[in-house]
Amino acid sequence: MSHSQESGGRRLDRRRFLTTAAVGGATIVGASALGGLDAEAAFAEPMPSLDAAIPAAFAEGRIVATNRNVLDVAGSHGERHLIQLTNATSIWKLRTTTAEAIEVGDGLYARGAAMPDGTIAADAVWVNIVNVYVTIRGIARDRLHLTHGNEELVGHIVPDTTTASYLGGALTADLSRTRIGQEAQVLGAWRPADGAIDIARVSLGH
Amino acid sequence: MIPLVSNLAPLACAVLLALTGAAKLFGRQTAQLAANTVLVRVLNDGRRATLALRTLGGAELALAAALLASPEALLPGIGTAVLGAGFTGYLAYAKATAPESSCGCSARAEGPIGVRSFARAGLVVAGGLAAAGADSAWWSQVSRRPGGSALVLAAAAALLLCASADLDHVWLLPLRRARIRVFGNPLPSAAGERVPVAATVQLLENSLAWQTAMPVVRSALLDHWDDEGWRVLRYAGSYQDARGTHPVSVLFALDLTLTVDTAPHPAVRVSLIDEETEEVVPSSVLTPVPVRTALPLAT
Repeated sequence: MSHSQESGGRRLDRRRFLTTAAVGGATIVGASALGGLDAEAAFAEPMPSLDAAIPAAFAEGRIVATNRNVLDVAGSHGERHLIQLTNATSIWKLRTTTAEAIEVGDGLYARGAAMPDGTIAADAVWVNIVNVYVTIRGIARDRLHLTHGNEELVGHIVPDTTTASYLGGALTADLSRTRIGQEAQVLGAWRPADGAIDIARVSLGH
Repeated sequence: MIPLVSNLAPLACAVLLALTGAAKLFGRQTAQLAANTVLVRVLNDGRRATLALRTLGGAELALAAALLASPEALLPGIGTAVLGAGFTGYLAYAKATAPESSCGCSARAEGPIGVRSFARAGLVVAGGLAAAGADSAWWSQVSRRPGGSALVLAAAAALLLCASADLDHVWLLPLRRARIRVFGNPLPSAAGERVPVAATVQLLENSLAWQTAMPVVRSALLDHWDDEGWRVLRYAGSYQDARGTHPVSVLFALDLTLTVDTAPHPAVRVSLIDEETEEVVPSSVLTPVPVRTALPLAT
């Protein structure tokens, strides 16, 4: 208990320090400060690559074991990956989270750098992420009933997390503009236990 | 009431079995359908699974004919009930061993086995038992009490409709739409609530600041918090200088009330903190987004 309070305190101190650095002496990049006015300016020249010396690596599969910060992953095509998590690894499981949220049996998609010993040092890990095109067939207080082809799916609404985008607009917590019969794209986290989806984002009317 | 139901049960069961049996026996998709069922694993072969489904279709048609022709006989009713019990057992087995497989019950491409599949099998058992108890032929029952018969048959049809997903668009979706029209959308409207973090990330990813910092950023969103009107988004990154590669925290600070709808070109504060020395890295490591060169025009 005292340990977690202590680490929580450290976390807040660190955030406070980073906020001061971020807001204090920061470079302001706005529309008029650097470059052209439209976003497409970025495509005028190719982006520099991350780091040519380190080969980029991708891994995808089900987690069969976790050992401290190493995930043992069985790929969909019979391959095996060892994925090393560091404190610079971002972890997504419905929302930005930490390594403690990862469970054996979860699906995973990881991006990182291939290490000489064969492991992958992960930059970013997405756990149970799914992206499906669906039709909304029913709306309840805490879930959407969806069909993907002929398959029925349940999409759970998660308070403070589920967002919606209408006609390509900004993501909003306002879900009340969903309609039965609409086509939608759902990004979310699959629940291995019952096959349902916790919805992170539902995009409508694109 | 009960004799009425059990006298009409042979007719209802016969129509149902004739429809599903004919679809299985003569359907063009039977082979495709069989491939999705657990039968393939049990019989070790797709062709044998197809044959099994077609044989079952034939048996269903034969039962339907027997039910129609001799409704007072005990055997067709018992046969139907046994068939229904067999379906239930098969569903339970498939659900336990391969929950994602299709049930193949009504010979259409259906989703995984659910409550409705079991309800359908249960209805076949109940219908078969009721048919076994029939004490007069359905045609004489219909001519004796046409009104009551029509009512019972309509109820049976409605019951089967509810247990099958094929006709949802006819009755279930309009019903749900009507409920939302009357009672309103049950989902939160969240008017005037705070901007979700996902919307701030969206705003950042559409910004010039993101394009400028992208070569340095390596991770996805690592942490975020709100402080004094700012929303700070932290990413992990690395930059290179003469002494090698250094890990950094890439921090973006944005106004926490803005979204892409309200601010198409937001000003974003960007800073890089060296993870080892905890010092602010000069912004010269960021690559300014090049001004777009105009494409040559054909004259």
